Amino acid sequence: MKKIYIKEEYCIACRLCEIYCQVKHSKSKKILKAFKNETDILSRVLVEEIGYNSFAIQCRHCEDAPCVEACISGAMQKNKNTGIVTCDEKKCVGCWMCIMACPYGVIKRDLSEKKVASKCDLCGDEEYPVCVRNCPNEALQFKDI
Amino acid sequence: MKNTINTINKTCESADYIIIGNSAAGLSAAASIRTIDKTGSIIVLANEQFANYSKPLITYYLAGKVKLEDMHFKDESFYKENKILLKFPINVVKVDFESKQVISDKGACFRYKKLLLANGGVPIIPKIEIAGSDDFQASKENKSINNKAASKEIVFPKILDSFSYKNISGIFTFTCIQDAMQIQSHIIKNKIKETAILGGGLIGLKSAEAFLEIGIRVRVIELSDRILSATFDKQASSIIENELENKGSKIYTQNTINKIFVKNGKLDGIELKNGEKIDSKLLIIAVGVKPDLRILKDSNTEKEQIRSGRGIFTDESMETSIKDVYAAGDVVESFDFITGNKTNIAIWPLAVRQGEIAGANMAGGSKIYGGGYFMNSIEILNIASISIGITNPSDDLEGHVEIIKDFKPEKKTYKKIVMLDKKIIGLILVGNIDRAGIYGGLIKNGVDVSEIKENLIKEDFGIIALPSAYKKHLVVGDGIEV
Repeated sequence: MKKIYIKEEYCIACRLCEIYCQVKHSKSKKILKAFKNETDILSRVLVEEIGYNSFAIQCRHCEDAPCVEACISGAMQKNKNTGIVTCDEKKCVGCWMCIMACPYGVIKRDLSEKKVASKCDLCGDEEYPVCVRNCPNEALQFKDI
Repeated sequence: MKNTINTINKTCESADYIIIGNSAAGLSAAASIRTIDKTGSIIVLANEQFANYSKPLITYYLAGKVKLEDMHFKDESFYKENKILLKFPINVVKVDFESKQVISDKGACFRYKKLLLANGGVPIIPKIEIAGSDDFQASKENKSINNKAASKEIVFPKILDSFSYKNISGIFTFTCIQDAMQIQSHIIKNKIKETAILGGGLIGLKSAEAFLEIGIRVRVIELSDRILSATFDKQASSIIENELENKGSKIYTQNTINKIFVKNGKLDGIELKNGEKIDSKLLIIAVGVKPDLRILKDSNTEKEQIRSGRGIFTDESMETSIKDVYAAGDVVESFDFITGNKTNIAIWPLAVRQGEIAGANMAGGSKIYGGGYFMNSIEILNIASISIGITNPSDDLEGHVEIIKDFKPEKKTYKKIVMLDKKIIGLILVGNIDRAGIYGGLIKNGVDVSEIKENLIKEDFGIIALPSAYKKHLVVGDGIEV
C-alpha cells in the first residue's frame, strides 16, 4: 500500500498540512468558512517542533495495528484491501483504548459532538492525502512501500 | 461417567477447531486460524443469548450511549467470511480430553481436533451476612437495643454468595449484557436515584461512569484507602474522588459492607463496617472478576489435568498442559512482561493478542506470546485517565525505582512516570491523556530514557523529544534512512 513518508529534514514547520487537514475534515470543506464557523475541527496530522527541528506525523497505518487490537467497539478497523486504518465514528464510544495503545500518539479525542477518536484516514477518497499535496517542501511524501 | 459420554458419542458433532467463548480472545483466534487454515471447520460455542456483543460496552449501554443492536464488535459478515459456525447459548460444563469431546449442560457434544478455552472470567461475590428488614428499621432507630425483630427467623438465605445474590432483587454484578439490562429495568421500575457500589476498582468505577451519565448518584464502598487502588496512587485517586464528591456522590474508603437488609425478596438497605447505614435499593457488586475455571472441575482427571493457578497456565504458544488444548483471554494466567511473574491480566487488548497467537499455533503456525502488562483507560465525569504497567512499585523496589510526577489538582491533571534501570515501567495520566501511547511504546520497547527524563514530564511531550534512535525508528520505519 501507499504510505506517507516523513522527511524530517525538509519540514519547516509551516503547519500548512495541519490547516489543509482541518479543511478536508470540515463540514464546509472551505478554508474561510471552516476557519470562521468550525473552530473545533481537529487536525489529524500533528506538527512537532523543538527549535529548528520539526516534522509532521500522522497515523502510520501499522501492519499489526495496536489501536485495532485495543478497540472494544469494533470501530477501529484495518481495511484488508487498502490497508488503511479508519475509525468508524458511528461505532466509536470514546473509550480511548486506542489512544493508550498507539505508540505514535497520533489519535486525538474529538469532543466536539459525540466523543470519538479522531485520526488520519489517509484521505481515502483523494489521489493524494491533502497534507502531502499541500506541503510546500515535500517534507511529506506519498509512496508505495 | 464413561458410559454417558459413549452414549452421547453417537450424536457428537465434529470440527477441526472448537472455540469456547465468543468474545475478544475467541473471535481473534478464529480469524487467526482462518488466515492459515482456509478450509478447516471452526465452531464457536457461546454461553450467552446474544450472537455477538462487546462486553466492555455494557457501560455505554447502561449510559444510553449505545443500543443493543450496535454493540457487536464483529458483524455477521465476519462469521460468514471466516466460515465460523457460531452456536449459542451453549453452556459447556465438561471436556473429555481423552476422547477430545466437549459436553454442554444439556448434553450437546462436540468433538475437536484442537480446542481453545476462551471462556473468560466470572464476577467474585464476597460472602456477606443477609438480615431481615425489620432488623434494619429497628437498628436505624436505635443501634444499642437488641430487639425482638433482630432475633426473628429469617427464611431467606443468610449469606450472600454467587447463588443467593441472584434471588435478591436489587443486587447485581456488572460484567455482561444481562446484568446491564436487569439493572436498567430495576432502575426504571423502582425509580432509583442513587446506587451503592461495592468495590472502587475498574468495574465499580466503570459502572459509576454509566450511572453518573444517567443522573444516578453513586456511593462507592472501597476496602482500600482510595479508589482504583490497583493502578492509581493517592494523588491520582484524589482528583477523581473530589470530582465525584463535588457532583454529589460519596466515597467510603477503608470500608466494606457488613450486612445486607432484605425485605420481601428486595434489597432494603446495607450496613457498612463502620456501622453506617445506607438506605440503598440498588447495589452493584464489583469487587472483581476471576478466571472462570468451572469447566476444569469436571474435566480434570488424575491422568489428564489442565494445570492452573488463579487462571489456566499456558506456554508461550498459548497451549495448556494438555496437548491440543489452548487457552486465551481473561481465563489465562500468563506472564507479566515487566515483572516476569505469572499473572492474570484481564484486559481486552491482551485477550485479542493471546487469541491471535493461540489461533495461529492451533492452525500449525508458530507465534510466540511475549507476555503482556496491565493497562487501562477510564473516564469519570469527563476526566479521562490512562494507567499502564507498574504504577505503584512494591516496597522491595524502593530505592531502585525513580518516580517523576506532575500533580495539578486545580487543573485536574496528573502525570506520574515510574522508571527502573533507565526504563519506564509504569505510567499514570489523568486529565491530559492524548499521547499516552508514546509512553506505552517506550515501556514495550524497553527504551533507555535516561537522557530525556526532563522531557518525559513536560506537558507538550511528543515524538520529537524521544531518544534519536528510537525516534528515527518510529518516524521513518525500519530500514529506511532519512
